[in-house]
Amino acid sequence: MPFPPPPRTLLGPRRRSLLASAAGAALLVGCSTDADDSGTTGGSASVSEHARARAASDSDTLVQRYDAVIAAHPTLAERLDPLRAEVVRHAAAFGGSGSTPSATATASPSASATAVPAAPSDALAELAAAERALADRRAKALLDLPGELARLLASVAAAGAAHAYLLTEGAK
Amino acid sequence: MSEEKAAELTALQAALAAEHAAVYGYGVVGGRIREGRRTEAKAAYDAHRARRDALVREVRDLGGKPVAASAAYALPFPVPDSAAAVELAAELEERVAGVYSDLVRASTDGVRGTATEALREAAVRAVRWRGGSVPFPGLAERAATPTASATPTA
Repeated sequence: MPFPPPPRTLLGPRRRSLLASAAGAALLVGCSTDADDSGTTGGSASVSEHARARAASDSDTLVQRYDAVIAAHPTLAERLDPLRAEVVRHAAAFGGSGSTPSATATASPSASATAVPAAPSDALAELAAAERALADRRAKALLDLPGELARLLASVAAAGAAHAYLLTEGAK
Repeated sequence: MSEEKAAELTALQAALAAEHAAVYGYGVVGGRIREGRRTEAKAAYDAHRARRDALVREVRDLGGKPVAASAAYALPFPVPDSAAAVELAAELEERVAGVYSDLVRASTDGVRGTATEALREAAVRAVRWRGGSVPFPGLAERAATPTASATPTA
């Protein structure tokens, strides 16, 4: 059974830009003491919810990076599309939209602030670094999570590391 | 022993059994694989031996008796040549990934961290052998055919 979608998927056509700002907000929540957020006081249910939302937005942001690279370097599309599709599935598995529109990133502070490198090999290297950094972060985060979610996050982190390998390997 | 520790021990034993099988399997792989990929196979063999030994220690730490290796294992398919050896290596990694994802779920702290690392290494090796990735390594319930690929290297 799919996880219930977060409220932002109900927001309709403007979803993508809203989603991007939601991703930014999630980053901020992570290092604030927002009293409305049950993560600080709640049990493992709210911790899980928070971690899930974070994981979904992280994957959505990664999809946007893929989109930006594909838009700037269409010749890489054939190679990147299958990897991008897997990241979309990761976002969906965490309850994200799972259907991030294919377009260049717009409002996301983390995805669009970085311009895509002009050389395709540099663009691939940057994607690989993004995949690896996220995989590393997830490997640490999952240590504090309930078993089933930790298992999913560990698998997705492993997939990210494998993506980084594929992105690095073919760039040679 | 608490229920949690019992579950962790069961998952550790399953991981150990899978590593025993992987060590055996890589012995077969090493005998069939072509020269150009023999070093890679040897590195994987060594990595699985190291994981196996670490699991033996972890089982003992929990007061368990480490499961022993079988004298021989039934291969999932015949391995007459290098291409089949590569296929077997990928299969071994996928099986190992499966037990480590279960160990992540059943464990905490240090053991979970190690299992996470082992899952990641198995997933990367599987991709190296197979040349394509899967979206959810080690999650049998989400298994799918490989969707992403680099240049085939077999």
